[in-house]
Amino acid sequence: MKRPPIAAVALGLLAALASLIPIGYLLLRLFEGFEAALAELARARTLELLLNTIGLTVSVSLTALAIGAVQAWLTVRTNLPLAPVFAVLATLPLAIPSYVLALGYLSVFPSFSGFWAAWFTLSLATSPYVFLALSAALISSNFAAEEVARSLGKNRWQVIQSVTWPQVRPAAFASVLLVALYTLSEFGAIAILRFDTFTRAIYNAYRGSFDRTSAAALALVLVALTLVVIYFERRYRGDRWQAPTAAGRKRRIDLGRARILAAFGLGIIGLFGAGVPLVSLIGWSVNQTGFDLLRLGELVASSLAVAIAAGVVIGIFALAISVWNLRYSSRLSGAVDLTAWAAHALPAVVVALALVYFGANLVPGIYQSIWLLLLGYLILFLPNALGLVGTPIALVPRSIEEVARSQGLSKNAALTKVVLPIALPGILAGVALASLTVLKELPATLLLRPNELDTLATELWQATEVLAYSQAAPYALALIIIAGVPALALNAQARKLISEVS
Amino acid sequence: MKLRGALALTLLPILLLSGCSAEDNALLVYSGRSEALLGPLVEKFEQESGLDVEVRYAGSAELAAQLLEEGENSPADVFLAQDAGALGAAAKAGLLTGIPDEIYSLVPSGYSAADQSWVGVSGRARVLVYDPGKVSELPVSIFDLEDASWQGRIGIAPTNASFQAFVTAMRILHGDARTLAWLEAMKVNAVIYEKNGAILEAVEAGQLDAGLINHYYWYARAKDVGQAQMNSRLAQFQAADAGNLVNVAGVGILNSTDAAEQFVSFLLSETGQQYFAQETREYPLVEGISPADELTPLADIPTPAIDLSDLDTLAETLELIRQAGLI
Amino acid sequence: MPLLEINDVSVSFGDTEVLSGITLELESKQLLAVLGASGAGKSTLMRLIAGFDSVGAGSIVLDGETLSDTSKTVAPEKRSIGIVPQDSALFPHLNVGQNIGFGLSALSKEAKAERVRELLRLIRMEEFASRMPQELSGGQVQRVALARALAPKPKLVLLDEPFSALDAELRGQLREEVRQVLRAEGATAVLVTHDQEEALSLADRVAVLREGKIIQVGSPSEIYNSPADVGIATFLGESVLVDGKVSGGKILTDLGSLSALNNVAEGATGVVAIRSENFYLQPNPTGDSEVVGRVFFGHDALVEVQTPKLRIRARSNGPFAPEVGMRVTVWVRGAVNFYPSS
Repeated sequence: MKRPPIAAVALGLLAALASLIPIGYLLLRLFEGFEAALAELARARTLELLLNTIGLTVSVSLTALAIGAVQAWLTVRTNLPLAPVFAVLATLPLAIPSYVLALGYLSVFPSFSGFWAAWFTLSLATSPYVFLALSAALISSNFAAEEVARSLGKNRWQVIQSVTWPQVRPAAFASVLLVALYTLSEFGAIAILRFDTFTRAIYNAYRGSFDRTSAAALALVLVALTLVVIYFERRYRGDRWQAPTAAGRKRRIDLGRARILAAFGLGIIGLFGAGVPLVSLIGWSVNQTGFDLLRLGELVASSLAVAIAAGVVIGIFALAISVWNLRYSSRLSGAVDLTAWAAHALPAVVVALALVYFGANLVPGIYQSIWLLLLGYLILFLPNALGLVGTPIALVPRSIEEVARSQGLSKNAALTKVVLPIALPGILAGVALASLTVLKELPATLLLRPNELDTLATELWQATEVLAYSQAAPYALALIIIAGVPALALNAQARKLISEVS
Repeated sequence: MKLRGALALTLLPILLLSGCSAEDNALLVYSGRSEALLGPLVEKFEQESGLDVEVRYAGSAELAAQLLEEGENSPADVFLAQDAGALGAAAKAGLLTGIPDEIYSLVPSGYSAADQSWVGVSGRARVLVYDPGKVSELPVSIFDLEDASWQGRIGIAPTNASFQAFVTAMRILHGDARTLAWLEAMKVNAVIYEKNGAILEAVEAGQLDAGLINHYYWYARAKDVGQAQMNSRLAQFQAADAGNLVNVAGVGILNSTDAAEQFVSFLLSETGQQYFAQETREYPLVEGISPADELTPLADIPTPAIDLSDLDTLAETLELIRQAGLI
Repeated sequence: MPLLEINDVSVSFGDTEVLSGITLELESKQLLAVLGASGAGKSTLMRLIAGFDSVGAGSIVLDGETLSDTSKTVAPEKRSIGIVPQDSALFPHLNVGQNIGFGLSALSKEAKAERVRELLRLIRMEEFASRMPQELSGGQVQRVALARALAPKPKLVLLDEPFSALDAELRGQLREEVRQVLRAEGATAVLVTHDQEEALSLADRVAVLREGKIIQVGSPSEIYNSPADVGIATFLGESVLVDGKVSGGKILTDLGSLSALNNVAEGATGVVAIRSENFYLQPNPTGDSEVVGRVFFGHDALVEVQTPKLRIRARSNGPFAPEVGMRVTVWVRGAVNFYPSS
């Protein structure tokens, strides 16, 4: 294997070291009070939390996979009426912070709480990850092969099993990984819906007893769970198959009378995933009085600036790691990739406090500055971008690079002039997803931001703390509208390709 | 190259934002009370004193956690917290430098830390909010709520600091065993909420019969919609009952500068205290300043006889609450 | 009884009628080429035969069983019709052997393995059984795709422009191989293409499709030598169109008086199509035509000649191809096809 570009290695190592900060912090706390930590883990309550957490994660993962797969298949492969509209609807929950979703449902069904409520809310909130991944995979999969399979005697269902699924499997696994880790780390919605998971216990430990040792012990269990989930994902994901660009036009499967039923079904999902919360928010906004447009403008500007900056930074690091790990892979690059993921299931509060400790005591120069905040976002959301950036890079054939080299381009030039432009859609998608997630992020932003920096999310939080929903609503709506832009951009690619397939 | 240009353009926001890092202001305050509430008061202080104040707004518990992580290297000068627990944690970690005598003596002794590490700024009374249509017989003692007739009708917020402070008071008055029994009964009887405000909303909406909250939530809502429009009513428990606990929001100094002391004095001045009385309907603590008209005077509340600084034993309280399975 | 019968089939997509009144027959073990330009409706016809679309009118009958008509469309998986699509569409997650054996799930493990081996021998890729599709060259990929389609011994095989993605040299080689494989398997096949050379060289019968209608069906030599109209004539080979008028059983043109291949009505005016290989250039210093250009291919040459009234292109034998500037007399050998203008 040839040597990778220095820049990729440097950035990759930097990202890995950053991701190790929270883990190092947790180990530090753990060893401070090792026995107390063990006692904490040995409680019966901990087992109950573990079962709750695993149960929720598994059920949400499976449900999000089912929802996303059905949405992707119907919008890409069939003659579903208004397919582009349904594709947008399927992506929309991505723009809505999960705590806003939960509040939206709560306002309509005040007794909405517990396991089923958490399962329902998180499944809808995370299904867009699966939808986006699977619709992209379906579009680039070989449709003609499916018809050949039918000519060879397989019925529709067998074709999906033996031909379609193997091609979309990597995308499915990668997106379900994101769903699972998101569920593990989720706090906002779970707290509102009053369901007890590890993350809730961690928060309570920090805020209630300021018992950092037991919080650290619980958080390390989450890290362990992350590694288990990642192990399974890598083991069973299957290899990425390079699908040749299929010539000829792709056809849509005729659903016949089932068209209406399918549209109806997707409509219901869209109603709950986006319709209900948006309607509640609009309702609250209407009750609002004395709304400060200037303030809203300020918040929008600062939210966008932070989100875009973070998105670009994360995109650059994701690119570096993907290029290194996918084209010049070695044990070290694999370890770097794994490290970037290891911290992904940690609740944001843990990462933030680790950085507070790190910043205040070790690097005070950047403490409470935008740089530390960006570092926090990098640690939290790098994995989100890695999948999206990685896939196109993995699929660019090496032969293209070799041809470029043979024509006199240096290694770096071959990368920037040849590989990058081909991978650009994926890179932009990664930046969009990272920006989107940063827009919605709350706990880490609260802890790490510069003192006078307010964003839509923090403003929203201020209002909901005192349950001033009507005050919060306009900010929530503004947040969703702005987050809708990258969300739709993520989907626009899929949409464009969908309209080509007809 | 086009790519480089685009990259530069998007990094521009970072450069602009980096101007937002901590500046060398006269004063950095960590406030667990919201900007909507504290902002105008801070502005007034800046006008009167001519000092520059920078405030960091977040939850009291988050700020305490942050302070603990920052340790000695914390840039904060003053910590204004919503409840005693957060201040106690900071005090225990040795981060508070203590309140000067002349400021400390402004507030009656029961409402501040016994070791002078922090001073109370405003008071909040624990109350029972109830739906008069659904509750015909009010509980006399907090322990009446253990009765099976209350199953599913009473709301509590066990993760809320004020609730935890009240449970600590119960422990101090009645001992751990009795408190645990009450908590276990609550596990059976009570509906769990995340926040006091949610409990009030539920009672107002007719979903919940009664709940344990802080007084000012009710008054704040009454100010918003008009007292006549409120469906729920407030009640207190019998004299010296743990359920009548008056807790405080307080302030501690991390870095004793002139500016910090000035700020704390300001909070306890007529201006500051009246502000809390009028804006949030809390109880001003400095003697001679009266609360909003519709409130029961502080002296008339049949509070239990405890020293607020004893509420610092939060860890044991939490242990009990968790043992009962409420957290 | 023909194996495949397409009876008066029509289909529309939206408001456009894509195919109308298609009637074709194919005997067992024969190869029918459907020849037409892009957009003529060839792919649509393939999909109808394969069962991926339904007919609007007419019927498709295979081996006595009606597969498609206005009341029903038998599902593709039940038709026993193999397809080789334009881009081969091998299953990327399976190796060569697994691709070929994909449709053989009804067989026992041993029978399946034996059949796969048999086909690998036939396409001369025995060593490639465990290779992955990404590792194969263009020609190899198409051979595997063909083997895969033939593996379950289907009643009919459809090939959709299977060579269009390959370069010219490979195309020629592969064509021959494909023909041999199909013959060896005794397969009945329909090949769809826009390449006339392909159609003429491979097929037993050729059907010319234009704008959704069958214009002519016949053997390759019939189609080539007696194209039904001017359009086909020019489509199939290098031709010169010359105006002519029928007089006394012959056609009077600017190149002389020519004999007609087809029946002509006395006095009719129209156009005559002369193939470039039908010209004979006689070197003649006093000839009325002059050679103005020449492209030399080695074995033959395409010579551009200016006659008094026309400019024509003639194919000429290599060693005897006239040089530029030579004067020649232009003769037309044999009879020509006359197309009256209507």
